[in-house]
Amino acid sequence: MKNRALAALMAAAFVAGCAGKMPMNAEEFRKAAPGAFLMKSESYEVNRPLRQVAAAFQKRAPECLSGRVRMTEQSARSSSVVVTTYKPTVVVGSGRAELHLQRRHDQGVVKVYDEPPDGHYILVVDAYPAGSGRTRIQLIGPSKGHDVIYRAINGWATGENLGCPDLTKIG
Amino acid sequence: MGIDICRAAFVALVAASSAGCSGVKTYPNTLDKNLQIRSETVSGSPLFRVRTALSVYRVDERCELAFEGVVNIDQPKMSVGIPAGRWSYLDFTFSDPSLTGGSSSSVSRETLFRPRPGYRYDIAVSYKKDIYHVAIREIPPRGGAGREIQFRDIRACRPPWRAPTPAS
Repeated sequence: MKNRALAALMAAAFVAGCAGKMPMNAEEFRKAAPGAFLMKSESYEVNRPLRQVAAAFQKRAPECLSGRVRMTEQSARSSSVVVTTYKPTVVVGSGRAELHLQRRHDQGVVKVYDEPPDGHYILVVDAYPAGSGRTRIQLIGPSKGHDVIYRAINGWATGENLGCPDLTKIG
Repeated sequence: MGIDICRAAFVALVAASSAGCSGVKTYPNTLDKNLQIRSETVSGSPLFRVRTALSVYRVDERCELAFEGVVNIDQPKMSVGIPAGRWSYLDFTFSDPSLTGGSSSSVSRETLFRPRPGYRYDIAVSYKKDIYHVAIREIPPRGGAGREIQFRDIRACRPPWRAPTPAS
């Protein structure tokens, strides 16, 4: 229940901050999200070259961030089911590695706004070379409830933890 | 009162389930133990602890799965025997039953898997601070560091199923 309420609030706040239109691609998200309510933008550096960070994104994102999550909420009088599909995309270029994550509610959440077929963008992570074998991570995403994803991505970027975030814990 | 009764019944159900009365088929685990599973989960109250389980399926040539049973991974070190030389499907599930909210959730890591005869497989399973990890390492008969086994999605299976490599 908390997840749904937060997701709905974030979507409404995000759309309000974007003049009533959901970003339809990662570039639109980069431009719109940092100024939106309940969204954040932060950056940090890791002590690994971009090539290794990109390889970690390419390996871990499809394994860890793809899939459907089914949440069941039960009370004494009712029960509800929310089914959500997550889709990551990793784009690696010579000067940047990108990780996008989209989320689509397939059941249990009413869609009010148009969104891309694979769902609305919830975060975009860009990795840039920072010299001396270091990489700068630029992260744009929700400011609440998604810490487990941020910690996982940080683990992949640093190479210190290759685990997957439990997507049922979002929110 | 009604809610209290329901809650008490739910607690009893979960307790019975954790005691092995859930009715889910237990994996016989009678074969040579070629899998050594090391597990680590954040422990809390016994009622709220994340539970880890391994479901074992047989994969036939039509890529269809036949459930063979579940192993509750409730010890830091456990041994499991998976048939060598044929494909199985392993499903590691971390579940988190919440008694107070009446909600539950689970997340799983799955792979096609075919152990090679004579080889051992070291499997590290962890769930800490909402981040889970499953890693499989193949150890050859002569020992050594071995190699990491890549996870293989069931969607890679196309009937008639023919293994592209002798193992993984």
